[in-house]
Amino acid sequence: MNNPEFHMLNASQTRRNAAIDALRAPCYALGITMAGFSTIARESGFDFWMALVTSLGVWGMPGQVAFASLYSAGASLFIIFVAVSLANMRMLLMVISAADMMHLKSHNLPLWKRIFWMQFLAITAWANLGLAQQKYPSHLLLPYYQGFALMIFAFGILGTIFGFFLSDLLPPDILRVVIFITPIYILLLIINARQKANRLAVLIGGVLSPVFFPFAGEWAILIAGILGGSLASLYSRFIAKWHLDPVQ
Amino acid sequence: MEDYGFFQSWAAVFCAIVGTIIWRIAGVVLASRIPADGPVMGWVNTMAYAMVSAVLLLILVHPTGVLATTGLDHRLIGLGAGLLAMFISKHLIFSLLCGISAFALAIQLV
Repeated sequence: MNNPEFHMLNASQTRRNAAIDALRAPCYALGITMAGFSTIARESGFDFWMALVTSLGVWGMPGQVAFASLYSAGASLFIIFVAVSLANMRMLLMVISAADMMHLKSHNLPLWKRIFWMQFLAITAWANLGLAQQKYPSHLLLPYYQGFALMIFAFGILGTIFGFFLSDLLPPDILRVVIFITPIYILLLIINARQKANRLAVLIGGVLSPVFFPFAGEWAILIAGILGGSLASLYSRFIAKWHLDPVQ
Repeated sequence: MEDYGFFQSWAAVFCAIVGTIIWRIAGVVLASRIPADGPVMGWVNTMAYAMVSAVLLLILVHPTGVLATTGLDHRLIGLGAGLLAMFISKHLIFSLLCGISAFALAIQLV
Protein backbone atom coordinates (compact mmCIF):
# COMPACT_ATOMS: atom_id res chain seq x y z
CA MET A 1 0.00 0.00 0.00
CA ASN A 2 2.84 2.41 0.83
CA ASN A 3 4.19 4.39 -2.08
CA PRO A 4 7.97 3.85 -2.50
CA GLU A 5 8.63 7.53 -3.29
CA PHE A 6 7.44 8.48 0.21
CA HIS A 7 9.88 6.03 1.81
CA MET A 8 12.85 8.11 0.65
CA LEU A 9 11.73 11.28 2.44
CA ASN A 10 13.26 12.47 5.70
CA ALA A 11 11.33 13.91 8.64
CA SER A 12 11.53 17.58 7.62
CA GLN A 13 10.51 16.84 4.01
CA THR A 14 7.56 14.89 5.38
CA ARG A 15 6.58 17.82 7.65
CA ARG A 16 6.70 20.13 4.63
CA ASN A 17 4.59 17.73 2.53
CA ALA A 18 2.07 17.50 5.36
CA ALA A 19 1.86 21.28 5.70
CA ILE A 20 1.22 21.51 1.94
CA ASP A 21 -1.48 18.82 2.22
CA ALA A 22 -3.11 20.94 4.93
CA LEU A 23 -2.90 24.02 2.69
CA ARG A 24 -4.73 22.23 -0.15
CA ALA A 25 -8.19 22.61 1.40
CA PRO A 26 -8.74 21.64 5.03
CA CYS A 27 -6.97 24.54 6.74
CA TYR A 28 -9.04 27.28 5.08
CA ALA A 29 -12.28 25.48 5.84
CA LEU A 30 -11.21 24.91 9.43
CA GLY A 31 -10.11 28.54 9.81
CA ILE A 32 -13.59 29.64 8.77
CA THR A 33 -15.22 27.03 11.01
CA MET A 34 -13.26 28.45 13.95
CA ALA A 35 -14.28 31.95 12.86
CA GLY A 36 -17.82 30.57 13.20
CA PHE A 37 -17.04 29.53 16.77
CA SER A 38 -15.69 33.01 17.49
CA THR A 39 -18.93 34.54 16.26
CA ILE A 40 -20.96 32.26 18.54
CA ALA A 41 -18.58 33.00 21.42
CA ARG A 42 -18.91 36.77 20.99
CA GLU A 43 -22.70 36.48 20.92
CA SER A 44 -22.49 34.39 24.12
CA GLY A 45 -20.64 37.16 25.98
CA PHE A 46 -17.01 36.03 25.65
CA ASP A 47 -14.40 38.74 25.38
CA PHE A 48 -11.67 38.35 22.75
CA TRP A 49 -9.10 36.79 25.09
CA MET A 50 -11.56 34.23 26.41
CA ALA A 51 -12.43 33.11 22.87
CA LEU A 52 -8.74 32.90 21.95
CA VAL A 53 -7.70 30.98 25.09
CA THR A 54 -10.65 28.59 24.63
CA SER A 55 -9.52 27.76 21.07
CA LEU A 56 -5.90 27.39 22.16
CA GLY A 57 -6.65 25.26 25.21
CA VAL A 58 -9.69 23.20 24.21
CA TRP A 59 -9.06 22.81 20.45
CA GLY A 60 -12.12 20.66 19.82
CA MET A 61 -15.03 22.31 18.06
CA PRO A 62 -18.02 20.41 19.55
CA GLY A 63 -16.78 21.04 23.11
CA GLN A 64 -16.15 24.70 22.33
CA VAL A 65 -19.64 25.19 20.94
CA ALA A 66 -21.15 23.41 23.97
CA PHE A 67 -19.12 25.71 26.24
CA ALA A 68 -20.27 28.88 24.46
CA SER A 69 -23.95 27.89 24.55
CA LEU A 70 -23.80 26.94 28.25
CA TYR A 71 -21.94 30.16 29.03
CA SER A 72 -24.63 32.23 27.35
CA ALA A 73 -27.26 30.33 29.38
CA GLY A 74 -25.38 31.12 32.61
CA ALA A 75 -24.74 27.47 33.51
CA SER A 76 -22.70 26.59 36.62
CA LEU A 77 -18.98 25.82 36.32
CA PHE A 78 -19.63 22.18 37.17
CA ILE A 79 -22.17 21.79 34.35
CA ILE A 80 -19.72 23.46 31.94
CA PHE A 81 -16.98 21.05 32.98
CA VAL A 82 -19.21 17.97 32.60
CA ALA A 83 -20.73 19.04 29.26
CA VAL A 84 -17.40 19.96 27.66
CA SER A 85 -15.85 16.72 28.92
CA LEU A 86 -18.67 14.70 27.40
CA ALA A 87 -18.60 16.60 24.11
CA ASN A 88 -14.84 16.07 23.78
CA MET A 89 -14.66 12.55 25.18
CA ARG A 90 -13.87 11.22 21.71
CA MET A 91 -10.42 12.82 22.20
CA LEU A 92 -9.57 9.82 24.37
CA LEU A 93 -10.26 7.40 21.55
CA MET A 94 -8.69 9.63 18.89
CA VAL A 95 -5.51 10.11 20.91
CA ILE A 96 -5.15 6.34 21.48
CA SER A 97 -5.88 5.65 17.83
CA ALA A 98 -3.46 8.36 16.58
CA ALA A 99 -0.70 7.18 18.95
CA ASP A 100 -1.21 3.68 17.57
CA MET A 101 -1.09 4.83 13.92
CA MET A 102 2.08 6.85 14.52
CA HIS A 103 3.76 4.11 16.59
CA LEU A 104 4.30 6.84 19.16
CA LYS A 105 5.90 4.39 21.59
CA SER A 106 8.77 3.71 19.19
CA HIS A 107 9.74 7.41 19.13
CA ASN A 108 10.64 7.29 22.84
CA LEU A 109 9.34 10.77 23.60
CA PRO A 110 8.98 11.84 27.24
CA LEU A 111 5.40 11.93 28.53
CA TRP A 112 5.14 15.75 28.47
CA LYS A 113 6.19 15.85 24.83
CA ARG A 114 3.63 13.21 23.89
CA ILE A 115 0.93 15.22 25.68
CA PHE A 116 2.22 18.44 24.07
CA TRP A 117 1.87 17.03 20.55
CA MET A 118 -1.52 15.50 21.28
CA GLN A 119 -2.79 18.95 22.29
CA PHE A 120 -2.91 19.74 18.54
CA LEU A 121 -5.02 16.70 17.71
CA ALA A 122 -8.54 17.37 16.50
CA ILE A 123 -10.84 15.54 14.11
CA THR A 124 -9.30 16.89 10.88
CA ALA A 125 -5.70 15.99 11.74
CA TRP A 126 -6.74 12.58 13.06
CA ALA A 127 -8.77 11.74 9.95
CA ASN A 128 -5.94 12.90 7.69
CA LEU A 129 -3.51 10.72 9.56
CA GLY A 130 -5.59 7.75 8.45
CA LEU A 131 -5.11 8.85 4.84
CA ALA A 132 -1.37 9.48 5.29
CA GLN A 133 -1.05 5.98 6.77
CA GLN A 134 -1.88 4.62 3.32
CA LYS A 135 1.07 6.50 1.74
CA TYR A 136 3.82 7.02 4.30
CA PRO A 137 5.88 4.47 6.21
CA SER A 138 4.97 4.40 9.90
CA HIS A 139 8.17 6.07 11.17
CA LEU A 140 7.30 9.20 9.13
CA LEU A 141 3.75 9.50 10.43
CA LEU A 142 4.75 11.49 13.53
CA PRO A 143 6.54 14.17 11.44
CA TYR A 144 3.57 14.09 9.02
CA TYR A 145 1.17 14.68 11.90
CA GLN A 146 3.35 17.49 13.29
CA GLY A 147 3.41 19.36 9.97
CA PHE A 148 -0.28 18.84 9.26
CA ALA A 149 -1.65 19.49 12.75
CA LEU A 150 0.43 22.64 13.32
CA MET A 151 -0.70 24.16 10.02
CA ILE A 152 -4.34 23.37 10.81
CA PHE A 153 -3.89 24.75 14.34
CA ALA A 154 -2.36 27.99 13.04
CA PHE A 155 -5.28 28.53 10.65
CA GLY A 156 -7.80 27.61 13.35
CA ILE A 157 -6.32 30.19 15.72
CA LEU A 158 -6.17 32.83 12.96
CA GLY A 159 -9.83 32.01 12.23
CA THR A 160 -10.70 32.55 15.90
CA ILE A 161 -8.91 35.92 15.92
CA PHE A 162 -10.37 37.25 12.67
CA GLY A 163 -13.78 35.71 13.32
CA PHE A 164 -14.16 37.69 16.54
CA PHE A 165 -13.74 41.02 14.77
CA LEU A 166 -14.73 40.31 11.19
CA SER A 167 -17.67 37.96 11.60
CA ASP A 168 -19.87 40.16 9.45
CA LEU A 169 -17.37 40.21 6.58
CA LEU A 170 -18.56 37.14 4.66
CA PRO A 171 -22.10 37.26 3.27
CA PRO A 172 -24.27 34.54 4.92
CA ASP A 173 -24.81 32.74 1.58
CA ILE A 174 -21.08 32.14 1.19
CA LEU A 175 -20.47 31.56 4.90
CA ARG A 176 -22.88 28.63 5.13
CA VAL A 177 -21.36 26.93 2.09
CA VAL A 178 -17.87 27.34 3.54
CA ILE A 179 -18.92 26.01 6.97
CA PHE A 180 -20.33 22.94 5.18
CA ILE A 181 -16.82 22.06 3.89
CA THR A 182 -15.25 20.76 7.12
CA PRO A 183 -17.86 18.11 8.06
CA ILE A 184 -18.10 16.84 4.46
CA TYR A 185 -14.33 16.77 4.07
CA ILE A 186 -13.86 14.69 7.22
CA LEU A 187 -16.75 12.34 6.38
CA LEU A 188 -15.26 11.67 2.93
CA LEU A 189 -11.90 10.97 4.57
CA ILE A 190 -13.16 8.52 7.17
CA ILE A 191 -15.61 6.69 4.88
CA ASN A 192 -12.49 5.82 2.89
CA ALA A 193 -10.66 4.40 5.93
CA ARG A 194 -8.19 1.67 5.15
CA GLN A 195 -9.73 -1.08 7.27
CA LYS A 196 -13.19 -2.41 6.47
CA ALA A 197 -14.14 -2.56 10.16
CA ASN A 198 -13.51 1.18 10.48
CA ARG A 199 -15.56 1.95 7.37
CA LEU A 200 -18.41 -0.11 8.79
CA ALA A 201 -18.08 1.78 12.10
CA VAL A 202 -18.39 5.11 10.22
CA LEU A 203 -21.57 3.85 8.56
CA ILE A 204 -23.23 2.49 11.71
CA GLY A 205 -22.16 5.41 13.95
CA GLY A 206 -23.35 7.93 11.36
CA VAL A 207 -26.76 6.29 10.94
CA LEU A 208 -27.36 5.77 14.68
CA SER A 209 -26.53 9.25 15.97
CA PRO A 210 -29.38 11.20 14.28
CA VAL A 211 -31.73 8.31 15.16
CA PHE A 212 -30.85 8.54 18.88
CA PHE A 213 -30.72 12.35 18.97
CA PRO A 214 -34.47 12.96 19.55
CA PHE A 215 -34.42 10.74 22.65
CA ALA A 216 -30.90 11.16 23.93
CA GLY A 217 -29.80 14.70 22.89
CA GLU A 218 -26.03 15.14 22.88
CA TRP A 219 -25.64 11.70 24.49
CA ALA A 220 -26.50 10.33 21.05
CA ILE A 221 -22.86 10.88 20.02
CA LEU A 222 -21.54 8.76 22.86
CA ILE A 223 -24.16 6.02 22.42
CA ALA A 224 -23.77 5.87 18.63
CA GLY A 225 -19.99 5.85 18.97
CA ILE A 226 -19.79 3.03 21.49
CA LEU A 227 -22.59 0.99 19.90
CA GLY A 228 -21.48 1.58 16.30
CA GLY A 229 -17.84 0.85 17.08
CA SER A 230 -18.63 -2.27 19.09
CA LEU A 231 -21.03 -3.66 16.46
CA ALA A 232 -18.51 -3.04 13.67
CA SER A 233 -15.75 -4.62 15.74
CA LEU A 234 -17.82 -7.69 16.60
CA TYR A 235 -19.03 -8.11 13.03
CA SER A 236 -15.54 -7.90 11.59
CA ARG A 237 -14.07 -10.26 14.16
CA PHE A 238 -16.70 -12.98 14.43
CA ILE A 239 -18.94 -12.86 11.38
CA ALA A 240 -16.95 -11.51 8.44
CA LYS A 241 -13.59 -12.49 9.93
CA TRP A 242 -11.86 -9.54 8.28
CA HIS A 243 -8.20 -9.53 9.03
CA LEU A 244 -6.76 -6.44 10.63
CA ASP A 245 -3.94 -5.37 8.35
CA PRO A 246 -0.89 -4.79 10.47
CA VAL A 247 0.48 -1.33 9.72
CA GLN A 248 3.52 -1.51 7.44
CA MET B 1 -29.26 32.39 34.91
CA GLU B 2 -26.24 33.91 36.56
CA ASP B 3 -23.89 36.61 35.37
CA TYR B 4 -20.24 35.71 35.48
CA GLY B 5 -17.74 38.11 36.98
CA PHE B 6 -14.17 38.40 35.75
CA PHE B 7 -12.92 35.57 37.97
CA GLN B 8 -15.83 33.25 37.18
CA SER B 9 -15.52 33.80 33.43
CA TRP B 10 -11.92 32.67 33.48
CA ALA B 11 -12.77 29.81 35.84
CA ALA B 12 -15.31 28.68 33.21
CA VAL B 13 -12.61 28.79 30.49
CA PHE B 14 -10.33 26.82 32.81
CA CYS B 15 -13.07 24.19 33.38
CA ALA B 16 -13.56 23.81 29.61
CA ILE B 17 -9.83 23.38 29.03
CA VAL B 18 -9.40 20.87 31.86
CA GLY B 19 -12.50 18.99 30.65
CA THR B 20 -10.73 18.36 27.33
CA ILE B 21 -7.13 17.95 28.43
CA ILE B 22 -7.95 15.12 30.83
CA TRP B 23 -8.95 12.98 27.83
CA ARG B 24 -5.78 13.81 25.94
CA ILE B 25 -3.61 12.90 28.93
CA ALA B 26 -5.62 9.73 29.59
CA GLY B 27 -5.30 8.83 25.90
CA VAL B 28 -1.51 9.24 25.90
CA VAL B 29 -1.16 7.19 29.09
CA LEU B 30 -3.53 4.42 27.95
CA ALA B 31 -2.08 4.26 24.41
CA SER B 32 1.25 3.03 25.72
CA ARG B 33 -0.47 0.24 27.67
CA ILE B 34 -2.76 -1.17 24.98
CA PRO B 35 -0.96 -3.65 22.72
CA ALA B 36 -0.88 -2.50 19.07
CA ASP B 37 -2.71 -4.75 16.57
CA GLY B 38 -4.62 -6.43 19.43
CA PRO B 39 -8.41 -6.70 19.66
CA VAL B 40 -8.69 -3.84 22.19
CA MET B 41 -6.84 -1.44 19.88
CA GLY B 42 -9.09 -2.54 16.99
CA TRP B 43 -12.17 -1.85 19.15
CA VAL B 44 -10.90 1.57 20.28
CA ASN B 45 -10.29 2.45 16.63
CA THR B 46 -13.77 1.43 15.46
CA MET B 47 -15.30 3.41 18.35
CA ALA B 48 -13.22 6.46 17.42
CA TYR B 49 -14.40 6.22 13.80
CA ALA B 50 -18.04 5.67 14.84
CA MET B 51 -17.94 8.56 17.31
CA VAL B 52 -16.40 11.01 14.84
CA SER B 53 -18.98 9.96 12.25
CA ALA B 54 -21.72 10.41 14.88
CA VAL B 55 -20.54 13.98 15.63
CA LEU B 56 -20.45 14.88 11.92
CA LEU B 57 -23.87 13.43 11.10
CA LEU B 58 -25.32 15.31 14.06
CA ILE B 59 -23.76 18.53 12.72
CA LEU B 60 -25.30 17.78 9.31
CA VAL B 61 -28.75 16.63 10.46
CA HIS B 62 -29.26 18.86 13.53
CA PRO B 63 -26.89 21.81 13.03
CA THR B 64 -26.54 24.95 15.13
CA GLY B 65 -25.43 28.38 13.94
CA VAL B 66 -25.21 29.34 10.27
CA LEU B 67 -25.76 25.81 8.91
CA ALA B 68 -29.15 25.74 10.64
CA THR B 69 -30.34 28.37 8.15
CA THR B 70 -30.15 25.76 5.36
CA GLY B 71 -32.66 22.95 4.82
CA LEU B 72 -32.02 19.32 5.73
CA ASP B 73 -32.63 18.36 2.08
CA HIS B 74 -29.91 20.80 0.94
CA ARG B 75 -27.38 19.28 3.33
CA LEU B 76 -28.34 15.71 2.43
CA ILE B 77 -28.02 16.49 -1.30
CA GLY B 78 -24.51 17.84 -0.64
CA LEU B 79 -23.58 14.82 1.45
CA GLY B 80 -25.03 12.36 -1.08
CA ALA B 81 -23.24 14.01 -4.03
CA GLY B 82 -19.93 13.97 -2.16
CA LEU B 83 -20.26 10.32 -1.16
CA LEU B 84 -21.34 9.27 -4.66
CA ALA B 85 -18.37 11.06 -6.22
CA MET B 86 -16.08 9.43 -3.67
CA PHE B 87 -17.34 5.93 -4.46
CA ILE B 88 -16.98 6.47 -8.19
CA SER B 89 -13.78 8.50 -8.41
CA LYS B 90 -11.97 7.70 -5.12
CA HIS B 91 -10.54 11.21 -5.41
CA LEU B 92 -10.91 13.25 -2.24
CA ILE B 93 -10.68 16.86 -3.41
CA PHE B 94 -12.81 16.21 -6.52
CA SER B 95 -15.48 14.56 -4.36
CA LEU B 96 -15.34 17.43 -1.87
CA LEU B 97 -15.90 19.89 -4.73
CA CYS B 98 -18.86 17.81 -5.98
CA GLY B 99 -20.42 17.77 -2.50
CA ILE B 100 -19.92 21.49 -1.89
CA SER B 101 -21.15 22.48 -5.36
CA ALA B 102 -24.24 20.27 -5.05
CA PHE B 103 -24.95 21.88 -1.64
CA ALA B 104 -24.51 25.41 -3.02
CA LEU B 105 -26.71 24.61 -6.04
CA ALA B 106 -29.35 22.97 -3.84
CA ILE B 107 -29.59 26.12 -1.68
CA GLN B 108 -30.14 28.23 -4.80
CA LEU B 109 -32.46 25.90 -6.73
CA VAL B 110 -34.35 23.55 -4.39
